[in-house]
Amino acid sequence: MSELKAEVTGTVWKILCSPGQTVKQGDTIMITESMKMEIPVEAVSDGVLETLHVQEGDSVREGDTVATLA
Amino acid sequence: MARSGEWADELGEMDARRQAAREQGSAELLDKLRQRDRLTARERIAALLDEGSFREFGMLAGKGDYGAQGDFEGSTRSAHIIGLGRVDGRKIVAAAGDSSVRGGSSEVAVADKWIYAERYAWEFKLPIVRLVATAGGSVKLIEKMGHTKIPGYPSMPPAQMSGQVPIVGIAMGACAGLGAVRVCGSHFAIMVRGSSQVFAGGPPVVKRALGTTLSKDELGGADVHAASGVINNAVDSEREALQLARRFLSYLPQNVWQQPPRSACEDDPTRADAWLNDAIPHDRRKVFNVHKIVAALADAGSVLELSPRYGGSVVTVFARLNGAAVGMIANNPRVMGGAMTADAAAKMERFVDLCDTFHLPIVHLQDQPGLMVGEQAERAGTLSAATRLLLAIEQSTVPWIAIVLRRCFGLAGSMISPLHDGIGSALPHRFAWPSARWGSIPIEGGVAAAYKREIEAAADPEARREELERYYHKLESPFRTAERFGVVDVIEPASTRALLCDWVDDACAKTARNLGPKYRTMR
Repeated sequence: MSELKAEVTGTVWKILCSPGQTVKQGDTIMITESMKMEIPVEAVSDGVLETLHVQEGDSVREGDTVATLA
Repeated sequence: MARSGEWADELGEMDARRQAAREQGSAELLDKLRQRDRLTARERIAALLDEGSFREFGMLAGKGDYGAQGDFEGSTRSAHIIGLGRVDGRKIVAAAGDSSVRGGSSEVAVADKWIYAERYAWEFKLPIVRLVATAGGSVKLIEKMGHTKIPGYPSMPPAQMSGQVPIVGIAMGACAGLGAVRVCGSHFAIMVRGSSQVFAGGPPVVKRALGTTLSKDELGGADVHAASGVINNAVDSEREALQLARRFLSYLPQNVWQQPPRSACEDDPTRADAWLNDAIPHDRRKVFNVHKIVAALADAGSVLELSPRYGGSVVTVFARLNGAAVGMIANNPRVMGGAMTADAAAKMERFVDLCDTFHLPIVHLQDQPGLMVGEQAERAGTLSAATRLLLAIEQSTVPWIAIVLRRCFGLAGSMISPLHDGIGSALPHRFAWPSARWGSIPIEGGVAAAYKREIEAAADPEARREELERYYHKLESPFRTAERFGVVDVIEPASTRALLCDWVDDACAKTARNLGPKYRTMR
């Protein structure tokens, strides 16, 4: 089980995967937006996306857990 | 081995006293260290230095215990172990606090010993590594002395020491007050997660002063201070910290009268990694991995990042180009969009000073959107931090080369490399990748501001705005600036390493002509 964290303070712009989906290390799970830049949140390991903790449009702070991989 | 001869008794006593010192402090405290998977002070020194190279000073210092007849019966050793040793064959001074001696209390410190180590480094211009594991001042000292004193160490070497020899500080335990300053008042400060802490005052002092209850790690643990900028790097073990200290020193000269040592390079100085040509996404909203770019331009495996957890929109590394040590600065678009924050400015200012002091040429890989904006940034004092950085850059006298990878905007963009430098001769040696864009103001916000009425009055305001932006984007092509020689050249990204490795020979020849201490004015 690994937790994916937001790298920057900003908003969740786009979510690209849904719970239950199999992902590979380095896959982009969602894109956050900060300072007019798209900052991807990537899978830290191979696995299955278990939970999304945010929705598109949510504000996130640096270090917030945004998704959990099983 | 038993001694014989006329001086057998005296030599025997010397042996006995030395042996006692080798055994360090109390067995109980030594066991405690080992149980926690930590090293003793002597093991730390051994791990820091080349094998068998330690020459100890002051081994006999401490408080002797004598019998009724005045015979030596044993002693409480000083809580400091000092001496000389070698790191990759080069001589350094090492000073280690020994917490196995009365918990490293200052009552048994024999402070003259560690001050002597500092003074030796100052006198003979050698690097010094401080392994700090001694407690701060003890109130019991007051009872012992029968009076209090104004704080300070009159025999400490002058503050100019940091302008002359490399200093590494490693916190090996809880370091408060002066101990904390010996760690963070160095060129490279390291902490070990879980076993070292640094603070102005420890938990009991904080509890008394502020009424808050915090653990040592919550108050001043490695992760706290890697992010606060008080230290540079946090690591997971003491051995890792000691290896890191060796690695840091490998990029620096013994003192400012020498050049950094150049090592043999097995990596092809003309190596051209084709992927670099596509490293920057065409879509300006998309980020890229600047660490990967830095690693590709430097000699393979030569990158050491300093302060990775602090001011992360600026990445500062030591690296090698064809064997020559350089400082590299790069903006990281993944952190705050790469914007210059107060922390990033303070980090870069210190790094520029560090490179300038020890004659490391500077490579700046720029993707700078500008100073961080917003209420938080204003309250953080971003403007004054940035101004100090600008002055640090202009006061530096090492050669700079700058490559604009993508953005170079505003005041922070102007900090690409010095235009005058400390001796008034800086060459604006600036290059650009085809993805580069620059200006006093970014096109998007600029068009919206300057053409507000025209856009609002248009039949299709959105279309008019896009049309204007397209027009201005064409004007900001780096090729137009290159026509006016506003940059030396627009280069193929894959050819960057070859350019840098060719330049570094000239840069090192220049630093060789400008050795010695640097003098900087007020900022």
